[in-house]
Amino acid sequence: MTTIAIEHLARVEGHGGITVELEGDAVTNVRFDVFEGARLLEPLVRGKRYDEVAPILSRICAICSVAHSLTSLKATESAFGVRVSPQTELLRELLYRGESIESHALHLFLLAVPDYLNYPSATALAADKPAAVLLGLRLKKLGNQIQEAIGGRAVHPVNAVPGGFGRVPTLDQLIALRGSLMQGRTDADAVIDLVASLPAADFCHSDTVYAALRSPNLDRYYGGDEVMVVSNRSRAIVRAADYRELTNEKAVPHSHAKHSTFGGNPFMVGALARLTVNPRRLTGRLAVAMKRLKLLLPADNPMDNNKAQALELIDDLDRALESIEQLLRAGLKDERPMPVHPRAGTGTAITEAPRGLLIHSYTYDDEGRVTAADVVTPTALNAASLELHLRRAVEQCAERDESVISKRLQMIARAYDPCISCSVHLVRQR
Amino acid sequence: MKPLLVIGLGNPLMGDEGIGWHVAERLAGDARLPEHVEVICGGTDLLRYAGEMEGRRRVVLIDAIEDGSATGRVRVFDRDFRGLEDHQEHAHHLSVIQAVRLLRLIAPTSFSLLGISISSARCEPALSPSMAARMPAILRQVLENLL
Repeated sequence: MTTIAIEHLARVEGHGGITVELEGDAVTNVRFDVFEGARLLEPLVRGKRYDEVAPILSRICAICSVAHSLTSLKATESAFGVRVSPQTELLRELLYRGESIESHALHLFLLAVPDYLNYPSATALAADKPAAVLLGLRLKKLGNQIQEAIGGRAVHPVNAVPGGFGRVPTLDQLIALRGSLMQGRTDADAVIDLVASLPAADFCHSDTVYAALRSPNLDRYYGGDEVMVVSNRSRAIVRAADYRELTNEKAVPHSHAKHSTFGGNPFMVGALARLTVNPRRLTGRLAVAMKRLKLLLPADNPMDNNKAQALELIDDLDRALESIEQLLRAGLKDERPMPVHPRAGTGTAITEAPRGLLIHSYTYDDEGRVTAADVVTPTALNAASLELHLRRAVEQCAERDESVISKRLQMIARAYDPCISCSVHLVRQR
Repeated sequence: MKPLLVIGLGNPLMGDEGIGWHVAERLAGDARLPEHVEVICGGTDLLRYAGEMEGRRRVVLIDAIEDGSATGRVRVFDRDFRGLEDHQEHAHHLSVIQAVRLLRLIAPTSFSLLGISISSARCEPALSPSMAARMPAILRQVLENLL
């Protein structure tokens, strides 16, 4: 038996690893391991007051802090029956959009592009091709600027609170953001040019099941509470309150992250899933860009998630600008958060974090203290699908050269844009 | 020119891994902090603070390092960060060393790193007792480096 082990998967937080076992040419086992210590984040919020929960859970991840914070607030507001104002909805969507711009720019230009061009890191790429790296840094900074203006600081937002915003951004801040976004939109063509120029990554094909929020307004990361699961043969809807049908998490012995399947099938979440579930987003400039990237939906190649992120990145710039225009047209109001009256009950929220569906579910007592909490991250949802695609990549690789297989496996794992640290949550196995 | 900027890096939910964050939090409320110094409690992604670094002559980073030394030992790394691993191990963000190298492309800021040795990183909202006991000495050494 031959074993290929990538123990420290480069650029994967928390030291995720891949193990492939071969008997001759036959693949006998493929494992995407998460061997980081089990995390105890969910118990950390048990007994906490409702207004302490989002600030704690936003710290699960520095890159996804807005996603965790806003999903947490949405779940808490759902438990207490709080309806936020249209202005709050718009500001939260804008804040989410800022995180998506920041995250996609970082992942695409500083982590994925070096792989395609055979550079070991972004710094090595910068030495030869500084324009690609500077483009990523510029867009990342723009995403950060949005999060700082709306969320109150660059990481772990403090302005978003139960019921609304503790401090509404000023008119001057919105006007400054509008100027920065108009400037940022001029980079959209460069984004597509660069991604279209990358060598084809054509080494894994497999029918894939996709799951994403069905967005009634076609373009929402924060709104909506229905997930659509799409395969070649069927479509299904899962409402937020029934999220366990979707997650159906199963502990596996080689990983602290639980694996999720739907109808017995692994499914993929993230940018590619969002475009597959909501194809009506792909009009105008996006449709032209999609053609340039040679992206066909539904895709059977997980590497296409990088192309989908490029499309979302340029769409995010437009949508963020639209949100600001809407806020300015409606007249920005210095409104206070909606009153929150704690009551016993459960609230569940699903949003689209940059790397896919994120679920927070809390049960509160009548004093507004958490009695149970569940956080299911996109990387945990993706784990089973990633293992399936890793297996297919090995099976479809004509060469048995370890370095060739390793490079392909690492590129597929990175295309999923995983966050190993936050994919882990406590599992006890008997 | 803006004041010297100190950024404490780390995840405060991950025990001693968050030592940089904890030190920055303590530093920000410390009466001994010189007037010419600003402090940020950062997360794990240094590039997030690129905007804050603009116009600074010097930025001091405080972060956990794993070097086999006793818990809480403070080591100073200037300019080229010689002897520190350049390997990239993150999905979401660049390592501090790689991030500094990229930031040098866009700004002439001088960086130094105060590395604090840790021996464990696990999900825990507080520092280990041995690290917590070292906090007064760590703060003293950090402040000496800011004068």
